[in-house]
Amino acid sequence: MAEEVSITKAYIGNTCIVSALGVGASQTYAAMLEGRSGLQFVNMPNVCETSLPIQKIADEYRHENLSRLESLMHKCVADIVEKTGIDVRSQRNVIVFATTKGNIADLTTEMPENGSRIYLYNMAMRVSQSLDFQTKPIVISNACISGVSAVIAAQRMIECGKYDNVVVVGGDEVTDFTTSGFLAFKSVSQNPCRPYDASRDGLSLGEAVAAILLTNNKMLSQGYHIAGGAMTNDANHISGPSRTGEPLAEAIRTSMAEAGAEISDVAFVNAHGTATLYNDEMESKAISLAGLSEKPINSLKPYFGHTLGASGVIEMVIGIEELRHHTLLGTLGYQSLGTPMPLNVSAQNRPVEGTCFVKTASGFGGCNASVVVMADEVDHAKNESVTDEVCTRKCHVKNGVISVDGSDVFSSHSADFSQFVREAYHAVESDAKYSIKFSKMSDLCRLGYVAMHHLLKGISYEPYDVAIVMANRSSSLEADLKHWRIFNEGEASPGAFVYTLPNIVLGEVAIRFGIKGETIFFVDNQVDTANEYAKMLLSKYPKTVVAWIEKSGDDYVFDATLYMKKQ
Amino acid sequence: MEELKTQLKQQIIDALNLEDITPADIDNEAPLFGEGLGLDSIDALEIILVLERHHGIHISNPAEARPIFKSINALAEFVAANRK
Repeated sequence: MAEEVSITKAYIGNTCIVSALGVGASQTYAAMLEGRSGLQFVNMPNVCETSLPIQKIADEYRHENLSRLESLMHKCVADIVEKTGIDVRSQRNVIVFATTKGNIADLTTEMPENGSRIYLYNMAMRVSQSLDFQTKPIVISNACISGVSAVIAAQRMIECGKYDNVVVVGGDEVTDFTTSGFLAFKSVSQNPCRPYDASRDGLSLGEAVAAILLTNNKMLSQGYHIAGGAMTNDANHISGPSRTGEPLAEAIRTSMAEAGAEISDVAFVNAHGTATLYNDEMESKAISLAGLSEKPINSLKPYFGHTLGASGVIEMVIGIEELRHHTLLGTLGYQSLGTPMPLNVSAQNRPVEGTCFVKTASGFGGCNASVVVMADEVDHAKNESVTDEVCTRKCHVKNGVISVDGSDVFSSHSADFSQFVREAYHAVESDAKYSIKFSKMSDLCRLGYVAMHHLLKGISYEPYDVAIVMANRSSSLEADLKHWRIFNEGEASPGAFVYTLPNIVLGEVAIRFGIKGETIFFVDNQVDTANEYAKMLLSKYPKTVVAWIEKSGDDYVFDATLYMKKQ
Repeated sequence: MEELKTQLKQQIIDALNLEDITPADIDNEAPLFGEGLGLDSIDALEIILVLERHHGIHISNPAEARPIFKSINALAEFVAANRK
């Protein structure tokens, strides 16, 4: 029996930024108003013969026991704690980390030890403990939408009453590891990126750390709240964006519906705008499908570069300043529109009017996210249907055996991973067209691919009706080592680099099974957080999968539950 | 030319880590992308790297390379005409 309950709101309590343009939202916003960019030509001799426009941040916040990235994250969270006085020791307060690669600068060609800070969960624990937080940190690694994903996850955790205060901190460094990969993809411009422009020829990379406090305490609100958030998957390609833009448009529509926002309420759209040919094309189609073509739109990538895990957070922080000052920052470098569908872009700062803005992001693994940030004076009551009538199906993979609800459905002659996974693949897939795709996948993806066949067997669903939550401890570490080994032997391989994001397994699964709902990846020491999060999705999706998926050396395990709401 | 075609096929198989496929399985006329071998945009970048690494051919704009990826025949002709 579904019933409606009113839910609390996720207010924006405070924010912090560390970028090349300054510290804090106001200082950074002021620099941007003057048209200043953090991009500077930097030499990265190991990866590129020419210098590249990159945002680098100065090393002034080194905490003695923390890595460079951890120190910056510590600085941002400490700043928010100090300004708001939230109780770090409360079990109701937590930090959510958004990062693609964390301390990847430490990676060598050897497998790191268990305690290494290369493990994203260890990194998060180190920062969390250095600030005296008592709760387990939460880590989201969802490619280029990590930051927006983390804000949406935090919004849901506040709204369902799990936490009082959630500090979302997003950060990534510019490293040889990541830069070599984007160069191998031929997606880096030699000049500062020019989103949406006819002459755009790729992205610029940047590093930054940014944090946002979401709180259920309206007294701490800076006047804005996260009114709606949604994620979708293209189910099209692991690195190329959707050809139609429909899945991003669906995320925008869903987030606006959740927020109760009409098109006329929207002051502006701050899109992803990486300035790669295909991303910006896709966005123009999605914005058009969502009915927002006439709304002023900008991309902040010309100011910060693409800051990966930080991008969604830092751009949302600046978006709040733009809404507050009724001013939309210009998209630096823009001259003439070069997208198939119309967009209202300008290089100049412009006045804007409205009570909310839409922030979007899209990334590898086919993932899209959209958030609506709304002024508190617009006070739509939010209700959510709750239901406890759920049935489940479980799938378990270990030692060469796949079982569903406790019964063995496949068993290999060998527990050895590569032999097992190939046998398991041929047992479920006879169509040759999938064979090449499968042979190119990382082991983590292969494991998810064969296991999901059994979990979803005979289950019917509409594309947008299924969400998938996955988690593990090692992230994409084996693929990371492979990319790094190939790079050190000569030249980075795009086919190896793409798998250095853990959420690619979600993309592979979404493509194969035609699933277009939310896909999100947690990095953790156990499955509990992902499982709790999956249950939060039951009010939004008829079916939700949560899976622990690990492949590390000889060890592999897949342990999944499919939750199905009773009709 | 036949030797070059076989060599290119093996280099593509190695670069893309295509298990279960031998040069004999790849039809010289069949499209490499889409309906034929089923390669995608990431594979195109890998093949561009093969051309750089093994044949000294540099392609800076992947979009320009589209016609030469039509088939193994087209690729081999291009390599024969441009290799250093």
